[in-house]
Amino acid sequence: MFWAILSGIEGNLPAYKAVLKDIQRQPIRVEEIYILGDLIGPRPESEALVQYIRETRSHSTHICMGWWEEQLFNLHGLRRDPDAIALKEKYGAAAIEQLWNAVSRDSTDWLRGLDFGFFELDCLLAHGSTLGCDDELTPDTHPLTLLDRLLRSDANTLFCGRSGLAFQYQLPHSQITSTVKTIGTPTSEPVVQEYSLKPRQIVGVGNVGRTLDQASYVLYNPNNNKVKFQQVAYGENASAVSASRGKGFGSY
Amino acid sequence: MKIAVISCIHGNLEALNAVLADIDHQGADQTFCLGDLVGYGPYPNEVVEIIRDRQIPSCQGCWDEDIIDGLNACECSYPSLLAEKRGRLAHEWTDAEVTAQTREYLAQMPLTLRHENLCFVHGSPQSQHEYLLPETSAFIALERVLSTGADVLFCGHTHVPYVRTLSDGQLQIRVVNQAQANAQANSQTLTTPLKRIINAGSVGEPRHGKPQATYIIYDTLSEQTIFREVDYDYEKTCAAIVSKGLPPIFAWRLSKGLEFAEKADDPTHVCER
Repeated sequence: MFWAILSGIEGNLPAYKAVLKDIQRQPIRVEEIYILGDLIGPRPESEALVQYIRETRSHSTHICMGWWEEQLFNLHGLRRDPDAIALKEKYGAAAIEQLWNAVSRDSTDWLRGLDFGFFELDCLLAHGSTLGCDDELTPDTHPLTLLDRLLRSDANTLFCGRSGLAFQYQLPHSQITSTVKTIGTPTSEPVVQEYSLKPRQIVGVGNVGRTLDQASYVLYNPNNNKVKFQQVAYGENASAVSASRGKGFGSY
Repeated sequence: MKIAVISCIHGNLEALNAVLADIDHQGADQTFCLGDLVGYGPYPNEVVEIIRDRQIPSCQGCWDEDIIDGLNACECSYPSLLAEKRGRLAHEWTDAEVTAQTREYLAQMPLTLRHENLCFVHGSPQSQHEYLLPETSAFIALERVLSTGADVLFCGHTHVPYVRTLSDGQLQIRVVNQAQANAQANSQTLTTPLKRIINAGSVGEPRHGKPQATYIIYDTLSEQTIFREVDYDYEKTCAAIVSKGLPPIFAWRLSKGLEFAEKADDPTHVCER
């Protein structure tokens, strides 16, 4: 069993097609494809990308919503930030009109039907985390914050795409001592408890469409927990770089 | 410096007056309040008036928030269906009872208070509705303290006072960052600093098995915590609960210092908001 996990197509149809081609070219059979949001972005090609996915999506392709979808829903008054303050702060006022014009009402309705995320086996797959699509986890995020995101859903692995970064952050072993004294036990000894955790990890799955001519995604084997990072050159870079060769790490 | 921390007064005027008298007797230099001034009890306006007039720094509790923003401000509001059913009745009564001045005061309460290396919240820094129980994962508990930048996090919400010390934390970390040129694995071990969570219990709706009001005294120099149990005329409050039309079950459980509804389901979940 193998999964391909990607995020952040951002309306870049050539990048998405290149990734699909790379998945098909793998020596192993990829049974499930997870797209962790940001199908769209503030670019006019977003509508065509959504249409393409709607027409070609198979039952083994699972899609959840991302930060850009949430911004679109905000513009339609369907989320908590109808004035699109977060979008304005991050990308400027022009992005509001660009995003509004990029996706039709029909496609917006379809995007609204997407899941927030997925929990498969012991893995949580979401754009940000259970906190929300805007929860941006990176290798520089405090390890206890990362651990918190895993423990909130009791997942062993969290795949996320908000940062656009490709990384594997493993927590092989964690321990801590808790000493509790309550009002009910004034004369007895405090209760001392040792906590330890089994290995957990957070995987940033990269970004498909943001960087011109260079897409990234992740292949995952749930049976042995191996993660392989894929970089796919396309467009003008396609002939210069042998796609996905020697760029990953680990083995299947 | 000796500070008193009170929480979860829940409209219990008798209990609040007794606790404030005890605080004066203990000689505390400063009192902080962790919210839930209203709800369950018969005197929400009077309690708010005292906290306001005495200028006791107070952060907003989940009941205070729900009176301002509407019930079910968060899906974690109640730990069980039974608690939700009873809580809804109390919310509706309180919502009809509170004055505009009370509502105005509740609305301006901050979510967090800071004093030197101490942080004060109602439930957790994450949410007024999140329960930091003694059995909450120690890693999550530590993350909540670290997120505030404080050494000691004072909370309420559970109605049972406790002191929890989090020590000897170690996290092994192995990171592969594909953005780096060589993408080699980087391993390290993080040692976490000692942190503490202190739950102040409940003035007006104690749940430690006895009817006495509870709060804590904390000495910032010795870092010692004293649990305080204060006798008061709880039967007077119970009678007012019944006479003012609140569900009589609130009078019964106040006299016992127990809330069986909270035992119906698992309240240890972490708020996912």
